[in-house]
Amino acid sequence: MRNREINNFLILTTLLVITLSLSSSSITHAAVHTNNWAVLVCTSRFWFNYRHMANTLSLYRTVKRLGIPDERIILMLADDMACNARNKYPAQVFNNENHRLNLYGDNVEVDYRGYEVTVENFLRVLTGRHENAVPRSKRLLSDEGSHILLYMTGHGGDEFLKFQDSEELQSHDLADAVKQMKEKRRFKELLIMVDTCQAATLFSQLQSPGVLAIGSSMKGENSYSHHLDSDVGVSVVDRFTFYTLAFFERLNMYDNASLSSLFSSFNPNLLMSTAYYRTDLYQEQVEKVPVTNFFGSVMKTIHTDSAYRGTSGKDSSRVKYDVISGQSDDVDARRMTSSDPEKQGDHPDIKLVKGGGCPHADWWNAIVEKFQGIKNGDMIVNYGLVGMLTLVAVSTWQSS
Amino acid sequence: MLAQCTMDLLFYYRSLGLSLVIEVKDKAIFYADFITAILIRAIGQLLQVADIQSLKSLGASKFSKTSENFPAGDIAALVYLWNPLTIITCLGYSTSPIENLMIVLSLYGACRRLVPLAAFGLVMASHLSLYPVILIIPLVLLIGSGLDTPPRKLFLQPNHGDGYKKTNFSWRRVVLFFLWASVWALYVLVLCSISLKEYSGLGEMFKRTYGFILSVEDLSPNIGVLWYFFAEVFDFFRDFFLIVFHINILFMVLPLAIRLHHRPCFLAFVYIAISSILKSYPSVGDSALYLGLLGLFVNALADMQFSFFLFSGYLGTLLLSPVMHNLWIWRGTGNANFYFATAMAYACFQIILVVESVSSMLNHDRALKKGATPVAKKIQ
Repeated sequence: MRNREINNFLILTTLLVITLSLSSSSITHAAVHTNNWAVLVCTSRFWFNYRHMANTLSLYRTVKRLGIPDERIILMLADDMACNARNKYPAQVFNNENHRLNLYGDNVEVDYRGYEVTVENFLRVLTGRHENAVPRSKRLLSDEGSHILLYMTGHGGDEFLKFQDSEELQSHDLADAVKQMKEKRRFKELLIMVDTCQAATLFSQLQSPGVLAIGSSMKGENSYSHHLDSDVGVSVVDRFTFYTLAFFERLNMYDNASLSSLFSSFNPNLLMSTAYYRTDLYQEQVEKVPVTNFFGSVMKTIHTDSAYRGTSGKDSSRVKYDVISGQSDDVDARRMTSSDPEKQGDHPDIKLVKGGGCPHADWWNAIVEKFQGIKNGDMIVNYGLVGMLTLVAVSTWQSS
Repeated sequence: MLAQCTMDLLFYYRSLGLSLVIEVKDKAIFYADFITAILIRAIGQLLQVADIQSLKSLGASKFSKTSENFPAGDIAALVYLWNPLTIITCLGYSTSPIENLMIVLSLYGACRRLVPLAAFGLVMASHLSLYPVILIIPLVLLIGSGLDTPPRKLFLQPNHGDGYKKTNFSWRRVVLFFLWASVWALYVLVLCSISLKEYSGLGEMFKRTYGFILSVEDLSPNIGVLWYFFAEVFDFFRDFFLIVFHINILFMVLPLAIRLHHRPCFLAFVYIAISSILKSYPSVGDSALYLGLLGLFVNALADMQFSFFLFSGYLGTLLLSPVMHNLWIWRGTGNANFYFATAMAYACFQIILVVESVSSMLNHDRALKKGATPVAKKIQ
C-alpha cells in the first residue's frame, strides 16, 4: 500500500515537473524591428512653464522631421501656451529667442490636451488598457517589433514627476507600467528620455530588459532652463532639450549617428547638471545603435517573391525573402528560405493526401502540386473564360 | 411590317444614342443589354408561337384571332431597352446588365430546349448573385414540359381539343440539365480558385460574396427595405430576422410553383420579381429585368387592374427617391425616414404589380376555361 502511494506520488510529481517545464519554456523568437513610436509627454501647465511645452513641441518636430508619422506619435500637452491670453505671439510657440522656428505650425496633432494629461491616462497609454470608446489615435498601438521613444518633461523630484500641478507619477509606477508593457510584448526596445529636476531617479526602479534611459540630471541636481526670451517674457527652452535639439538639427533621416554620440554630446558644464544614462538593461551596444532607431523612422524593405497574402496568416514562414537594410552597417542581408517540409496547400480547400499506398493519392498529389505551381493565374483564367464561352457555343450548336 | 420597321429603328436609335455616351472599353455592359433585348424578343416569339398552338388545339382559335394580338417579343424587348432604369444602370457601369443577360440566356436556352445553354446561364447568374438559383424550378419545368400552356385539365375535357398530344415530362432532359449545370459549376469554381490562389481561396470568396449577401453586413441605404430594419434590430435578434427575411423569398417558391407549373415562363417572371423586391441589396437593374419580362405577357395580362395606378406610382416613387436621398444626405434637411418612405412605397408598388399580374394571369386561364366564347371585355 505504501509502495503504491509512493509510486503514485512520484508519478504525479514527474508529470507536474514535465508540464511545468514545458509550459515555462518560452519560445524566444527574435522579433524584427518593424516600426517606431514616440510618446511625448509635457506634464506642466500654466504660462510660466512655457519651456516645458516648447521642449515637447521641439522634440515632436524633430521626430516628425526624421520620419515618424503622426499616427505613431502620442503627444500629451496641456496646450495652454499658444492661445494663452499672455502670449504676445498668438498661436505661436518658440523655443529660441531668435523666433526662427514656430513650433506650433499648422500640423501639430495633440492627442491628449488640457486636463486629459493625467497619470491615469499616461499609464493607460503605456499599458494599452483603455476604455472601449477611446479612439485609435489616442492609443499606443505598438507591437513586439516596435521601438518606442518616451520623452517626459516637466517638474520632477526624487523618484517622482509632477503632473499638471495636482498629481505625481512615481518611479515604481513607471517601472510597473514598463514591466506590463514588456509582458504584453508592446515594445522591442524602449528609450526613456526625461528632462526634469533629479531626472535620473525617475527610472531608477526599472528592471525590464530592452530599456534604455537617459535623464537630464542626477539625484540632488536641478535641471536648468537655457535662456530667457525677454520678448515672450518667460524661459523658452531647457538646457538638456536645447543641446539634444542642437545634436539633431545637424542630422537628417539617413544619418547613422549612434546613440553613444548623442549621450556623449552632453557637456556637464554647459548643462549645469550631469546627464545620466543607464544601459544595464539594454542588450545592444550603444555605439552601434543609430539614433534613427528611436528618433526617426527608417523602414527596412523586405523583398518578397510572391504576392502579398491577404488574410491567411500562416504564410509568413513559407515566403522566401531578403532583408535589405538601407544604411545600418551592422545588419547584414539575410536570406531565409522556405523550410516547411510538409508542403501544405496554399489555401485550405485542397490538401495533400498522404499517400498510404493508395494509387489515387499520388495522382491527386501530382495534380495539386501542378496547381500550386501555377504562377501566372490571370492568364490562365482569361484562357479559361474564352474556353468556357467556346464550349458553351459548341455545346449549344451541338444540341440544337 | 410597319411595326417591324419601327421596332428596328427604335433598336438602332438606342444603340446609337448610348454608343455616343459610353467609351469603348465599357461597351461590354452596353452590348450585354442589347443581347438581352434580342434574346427577350426571341423568347417572346417562341412564347407567342406556343400560345397560338395551344389555343388552336384547345379549339379556341377564334379566341386568338379576334383578340388584339400584340407582338409580345418586340414589345418586351423594346420595353427592356428603352426603360429608363435599364439606361441608368447601363450608364452607371453597374454589372446588373451582365446578370440580367445570364438570366435571360438561361430562360432562352430552356425555351429552345438547349440544355447546356440553360445550365450555363443559370450557373453564371447564380455565381454573380445568389438569388437566380431559385430559377432552377421554372427552368426544369421549361426543359421538362415545354413552354407556357393553359392548364392541363383544359386539354382533357372531351368537347375541346382536337389532336392534342399529351406530352410527358422528359426526365432525360432534366437529368442532362443537372449534369451540365454541375459541369459548368465545376469549371467556374476551378477558374475562381485559380484566380484567387493568392487571396486564400474559395472559402474566402464564398464568405465575401454569398456570405455578404446572406448576412447583410453593410447597411448603406439602398432602394430596398432591409437596411433600415437591420440598422435598428438588436444583435440578439439579428440572426432570427435574417432567417425571416430570407425565408420570406423561399416560402413563396413552392406555392407559386404548384399554382403556376403550367406556365413556367411566367413563373420565372414572378420569381425574378419577388427576388428583386425582397433581396438584401436590390437595385433598379433588377426591376429593369422584370419590367422587360412583363412585356412578354401583354396578351394575357391585357386587362390587369390598377395598371395606370402602378405606372404613375412607379414613376412618382422613382422620381422622388433620389430627391429624398439628396435631402437626407447632401442637404441635411431631411432624415432617413424620407428616403425610406420612398423605398417602402416602391416595394409596395412592386408587390401590387406582382400580385395583380399573377391574379390577372389566373383570370386569363379561367377565361380560357369558359370556352370558345371570347370574353367580351377582351375586345374593346
